[in-house]
Amino acid sequence: MKRVLAISSLDPCQLKVLLVTSVGIGGLLCYLALRKKTKNIPVGDGWWRVGEKPLSEDRTIRPFVVETSEEMIQDLHQRINQTRYTESLEDGRFHYGFNSAYLKKVAKYWRHEFDWEKQVRVLNKYPHFKTNIEGLDVHFIHVKPVQRAGQKVLPLMMVHGWPGSFYEFYKILPLLTETEGDFVFEVICPSIPGYGYSEAPHTQGFTCLDAARIFHKLMDRLDFSDYYVQGGDWGAFITCSMALMKPECIRGLHLNMVNAKAGGALSIISLLVGRYLPFLVGFTREDVCRIYPFMQKNVYKILRESGYMHIQATKPDTAGCGLNNSPVGLAAYILEKFSTWTDYKNRDLEDGGLERKFSLDDLLTNIMIYWTTGSIIPSMRFYKENMGANFQKTMDNTTKIHVPTGLAAFPHELLHCPRVWARSRFTDIRSYTYMPRGGHFAAFEEPVLLAQDLLQFVKKVESKRPK
Amino acid sequence: LWFCIKLLSTFKFSEGKRGLIRKKQESLKTQDGWWGVGTPLVSPEDDSIRPFRVETTQEQLEDLHRRIDQTRSFPSLEDSRFHYGFNSSYLRKVVSYWRNDFDWRKQVDKLNRYPHFKTTIEGIDVHYVHAKPKNLPEGVRSVPLMMVHGWPGSFYEFYGILPLLTEPASPEDIAFEVICPSIPGYGFSEAPHKKGFDSVCAARVFHKLMKRLGFSQFYVQGGDWGWLITTNMAQLEPKTVKGLHVNFAPPAKPSLTMMMSVLLGRHFPKLFDFSEHDIKRTFPCVQKLVVDAVKETGYLHIQATKPDTAGRALNDSPVGLAAYILEKFSTWTDHEFTNLEDGGLERKFSLDDLLTNVMIYWTSCSIISSMRFYKENFGKGLDQPHSKIPVIVPTGVAVFPNELMHTPKLWVKQKYHKLVTYTLMARGGHFAAMEEPELLAQDIQMFVKIVEKRM
Repeated sequence: MKRVLAISSLDPCQLKVLLVTSVGIGGLLCYLALRKKTKNIPVGDGWWRVGEKPLSEDRTIRPFVVETSEEMIQDLHQRINQTRYTESLEDGRFHYGFNSAYLKKVAKYWRHEFDWEKQVRVLNKYPHFKTNIEGLDVHFIHVKPVQRAGQKVLPLMMVHGWPGSFYEFYKILPLLTETEGDFVFEVICPSIPGYGYSEAPHTQGFTCLDAARIFHKLMDRLDFSDYYVQGGDWGAFITCSMALMKPECIRGLHLNMVNAKAGGALSIISLLVGRYLPFLVGFTREDVCRIYPFMQKNVYKILRESGYMHIQATKPDTAGCGLNNSPVGLAAYILEKFSTWTDYKNRDLEDGGLERKFSLDDLLTNIMIYWTTGSIIPSMRFYKENMGANFQKTMDNTTKIHVPTGLAAFPHELLHCPRVWARSRFTDIRSYTYMPRGGHFAAFEEPVLLAQDLLQFVKKVESKRPK
Repeated sequence: LWFCIKLLSTFKFSEGKRGLIRKKQESLKTQDGWWGVGTPLVSPEDDSIRPFRVETTQEQLEDLHRRIDQTRSFPSLEDSRFHYGFNSSYLRKVVSYWRNDFDWRKQVDKLNRYPHFKTTIEGIDVHYVHAKPKNLPEGVRSVPLMMVHGWPGSFYEFYGILPLLTEPASPEDIAFEVICPSIPGYGFSEAPHKKGFDSVCAARVFHKLMKRLGFSQFYVQGGDWGWLITTNMAQLEPKTVKGLHVNFAPPAKPSLTMMMSVLLGRHFPKLFDFSEHDIKRTFPCVQKLVVDAVKETGYLHIQATKPDTAGRALNDSPVGLAAYILEKFSTWTDHEFTNLEDGGLERKFSLDDLLTNVMIYWTSCSIISSMRFYKENFGKGLDQPHSKIPVIVPTGVAVFPNELMHTPKLWVKQKYHKLVTYTLMARGGHFAAMEEPELLAQDIQMFVKIVEKRM
């Protein structure tokens, strides 16, 4: 009451000031609410060795060759020979984990037919390098394209995940470094610090944000000012972080694992309604097919499949200790993922369906990278570092990403993200493709499909770029 | 998180209200099983009881030493102590002791100090230790007691408490005749070859064992899986189980009463009979009941879903096995031990005892089958029939302060309707029998004396 009287007692001049101020404040509030929340994550810095950071940085890029020795192979063979097996339960198939009968077959092949020296030559097909960033030797392969007349060369970084490696990209690299169209890629495939030939951090706290920053530094050191990035699994988290950290450097972001959800109540409502009235909440028929029945496909499946994540995010040193000493144990642990994450139905098969999509040579080469470098423990620590105390920051899947984005939704990926949900996180989606087949290890399993999608995405982005 | 989701999905308000009124006593039903290879034989089962001796060979020792020698270790992060799991520097010390000072032959002699036996039940060989009291005075009868171990323990956990129970110092104390079986799939008990062997099956098998040994009535004691198996035994045959003593009693099914006590217990402790210790261990409840549980249940999650994968490397690498198992003996004895460089292991246990337990898993190749027990039990969900049936047998609960999960008396009573003793112990954690044998023996004595007097 008093206030109303007070306003009416103001003279016209004061009223005008009040009006202007309130409109101004109101306008500001509206602007703040409606403007694009361009939140970049801070770049920061890091040092991952024990002790003080030296004043000058070693920026040399040293060629690296994958090597093997007779000793290493003998040790491996001896350990495979002395494996102690436990029989699987009758009719256990892959429901209890890796089946023992099939594991024996894999081990036999590994022991007697797998030629590691030959595979090392395959690995060395592309030039490898190492360079020291933030105290760690970061390994990467650098594949220069076969450039035809008139083709533009576009830099592209492809980031692997767990339990994969840079080797997952060996099938797709020829399709990207030699193309028919207007452009061709120059590809950099790094190893995440702690994985394969990249040195593992010696101090705590190394998250995907740190990996993102290190990869930006790597591209900078290689004199790339802007580039495309592609990733799945941890690679998806890292490339998204790269897009948030330095969007000006990212020409385009392509993901085969989409990490986004609609905020809060909206996702629950859309889930409840979406099964019956999909078009009301923006779900396509394909979305419905892939998400429902919801509890079965999302909650129970994830609970059944995330045991590894739970133990790695809490006790990585314990979980990895045995694996670092038993090659067959390591193979069972890693190959189980290549089975189940390629197609969930593989659990019903006696042999886990592994050789339907992959060759044993390729699968074992990936495992040898973990085995020969002893990197299973640091690779697992990455889970704890990301999912620990800083979980909100590192596993953020709602902060909006504004760089041109291409999403390839593979049908057997662990979790499906409908386009409408992806739109709430990625504000500039140039392509969203329902891939016809394939699972989690897209580059490894369906290189042609992934390459096609990546090429059409980049074509769309390049055509819209100011000349 | 798993527990939380399941908790929410199984909670029904209406059922909670019914819980306040005493339900009609139901007993747990079970069907016979057969766990051997192939199909069961037509002829009657061989029910002979065969003496068994733990043995070792030079070959076994050489194989172990060779594997230890070729261990590839990976350094722990700077100042990570036991926060990332077993610390690599301390692991090197343990391994060095194991390789150079640990005398397995001497430990085998120690294991054989009590008589071991095996008998075939439901198609598999069940191993047990049978400790009889010596020099019983005239006219005094011993009281039969079955003690069941858990994971990652074994019958060996009871070796410290057996003398106190079979030959108590005071003449006023009861002398027990103790049977310590190995759960099928653990140690020297054969592992089931078929799917589906859960705690109720183990309970049924152990009832058959006691019957075969001629016991018509006996007491049972257990912690960890032993808690669940002995509880199931009490639910299966309440007339046979004279008394049930547990040192671990997590609440099986959330009830309305429990929910209310979580919401209001901090402000109205007297209403829910909450002691200071109850408050300390239950609140703040999200931190204590959810976050802490999530941090420590990674092993449970992977074992309940992919036991064969999780155990493969552990069956091959003794050091990997030791790290995996001993991490639990550190963290579950006192959660504060994760802040120590050496995990505090040798404060409460000797390396000889710890490694003997690990050797039982190693020499019997039973790590995978021991992990499968988690999948068989949790894989069917938390809504099993046994979780809905109350226990009407006289029960005694020994509450150790550093146990993984603390259960206030009110919550215990939701399931155990005849709670005779509920004792807050002075000290100790999850592996009570091994860590604090005197305290546990005292509580068992007190409980059994009360029950015996009432009969």
